Amino acid sequence: MQQAQENTAEHAAPTADRVHIGSSAYNQIVEYLYEEAALLDNLKLQEWGARLAIDLIYTAPLRETRGSSHQAATFVRTMQHFHDDYRSVMGRIMRLSGKSAWAEDPPSRTRRLVTNVMVHTTAKADEFAVVSYLLITRSRFNFDEFDLISCERHDVLRRDGASFKLACREILLDQAVLGTPNLAIFL
Amino acid sequence: MLTKTSPTLADGTKLSDLVLPGTREVRMRVLSDPEIYDLEMERIFGKVWLFLGHESEIPNSGDFVVRDMGSDSVIVSRDKEGAVHVMLNVCSHRGMKVSVLDGGNTQIHKCIYHGWAFRPNGDFIGAPVEKECMHGKITPKSELGLTKARSILYGGLIFATWNIDGPSFEEFLGDAKWYYDILFQRSDKGLEVLGPPQRFVVRANWKAAGEQSAADGYHTLTLHRWLGEVGNYAKKGADGEASADLSPEMYGVEVSSPHGHALRCIDLARKISRLTGLDPKALNVQQKLEALPPAGMTKEMVPQLAKHLSPAQLEVLTSMPPQVGGMFPNVLFGFVYIPQADGSVVGSLTMHAYVPRGPDKLEFVNWVLAEKDAPPELREKILKQTIQLFGTSGMVEQDDSDTWPHMTLSAKGAMGKKQTLKYQAVYETTAPKGWPGPGIVNEGFTKDDTQWHWWLYWNELMNAGA
Repeated sequence: MQQAQENTAEHAAPTADRVHIGSSAYNQIVEYLYEEAALLDNLKLQEWGARLAIDLIYTAPLRETRGSSHQAATFVRTMQHFHDDYRSVMGRIMRLSGKSAWAEDPPSRTRRLVTNVMVHTTAKADEFAVVSYLLITRSRFNFDEFDLISCERHDVLRRDGASFKLACREILLDQAVLGTPNLAIFL
Repeated sequence: MLTKTSPTLADGTKLSDLVLPGTREVRMRVLSDPEIYDLEMERIFGKVWLFLGHESEIPNSGDFVVRDMGSDSVIVSRDKEGAVHVMLNVCSHRGMKVSVLDGGNTQIHKCIYHGWAFRPNGDFIGAPVEKECMHGKITPKSELGLTKARSILYGGLIFATWNIDGPSFEEFLGDAKWYYDILFQRSDKGLEVLGPPQRFVVRANWKAAGEQSAADGYHTLTLHRWLGEVGNYAKKGADGEASADLSPEMYGVEVSSPHGHALRCIDLARKISRLTGLDPKALNVQQKLEALPPAGMTKEMVPQLAKHLSPAQLEVLTSMPPQVGGMFPNVLFGFVYIPQADGSVVGSLTMHAYVPRGPDKLEFVNWVLAEKDAPPELREKILKQTIQLFGTSGMVEQDDSDTWPHMTLSAKGAMGKKQTLKYQAVYETTAPKGWPGPGIVNEGFTKDDTQWHWWLYWNELMNAGA
């Protein structure tokens, strides 16, 4: 697991207590992540937006190639690829739902493969710290090569009735130089 | 065969026949042809001043970043005396990259292959096993340093060139410098970066992005039409209904240069009246600066401007400020005023370099800038706003990076490559009456002249020989 996100400071930090694989809470969380992937892959952006908490923090640090003894410097949280909150994410959804968002019209065909889900409790009973691996295959136009986007996501999920709201997501991308021409899709 | 006396491409096309001045057209093969690309690396990227970053990225002795000059990797480093050096990232011994990192701090750049070592200024320190004199006795140590580029700082921006005896940076900028100074030399402490650059790859020829940077205002109306359709940027028509017509924003003044530099100076009067409710005609220069401070500045910083800029520059800054444009060959700048939902305005300050990565690929490198003494809240707003609009996830530039690859693919077609890019929308105006600035200046709706001048300089360099 990569180093814990810093912006969880505003949310509850993970405790040492693992929510074990197969437990009820774990299954509910995995279900949330699968549903989320399906909504995004099927371009149900408004429905995805309805699952976001209004205090959402949504960021994607830059990565830099640094030596083994300077691995902390590989994550850059000044400049980032995403530096968003609830309002700006909803603004992105509004644009993508409009008539002239050419970067995703025609839309990419994407597949979000979510794996390696690890859950910890936090000091707040209704919030969970969730780490997942995400591999997105992105196919555009009639191009025969896929753009691959691989990352590790550090989420805070907050209980919301029978499901959850995404309160925080930090996306730790694996590439220092991204191999896709934009992040017009959500990760 | 390409020879000095007969600059002809492999299929017999003369290099001088790619740009057609009579009709203001450019043959599309330039956007994909590997032979042309190789020549560009020598004749353009080997000759002109290239933008590599900002000195605030390497504040301390020994700090370095690894960047690109055309197809060559370079180390940009700061020495103990504080000077910035740019040198080829190729070991003088066997050609290994001296640094395989994106940056760091060291007083000794040691090649991991055989251990040859170099100072932050590129000088050769020595080779391991000194008693065996493994660097030999044929080439003196003074000639075994890393190949050094000629570099300069301009407003903290780092530029370098391999053209050691060529034109000075000031000569390269020419008349355009008067306008760039309004952006980069306007304050007491100057600008700095808000972090290292975003980097991502676009499968497009670098010139698709490069020529657009030379102030293509026209594409905004269609490619970025969403700006007029949704959200805080939506335009309200006379009847109060949302209107996607962005064309009123495309009037202003365009400055171009015999060296391919270009700036779009966009009418500020409309912005002042729309964003502040004041009548710009009733305001003097000082009042305009306070009503709507330059992008990235606060009202409190306004008094700095008169110390650094001439009255003529202040007049341009408060009537037709340069907001977007480029520096030949591969740089875009944006100093844009962005209206916020709460009625305030946040400046968005960005610089891009489009690094060539082969005929079909470019690396988009995006920095965000802020004034060093801007308050922390403003810096944070600039950072968020700029990331949300420009670069990797930027809602504006997402559309650009999805367009350039198709132009590049079009240029590969047997028929497509014979098509031309057209720059036939010609200004029939000149500078506004009393315009105080130098250069090639035209007023009115955005036209093709600035981009055409970009191609003319490209053509001049390509035909000037190696």
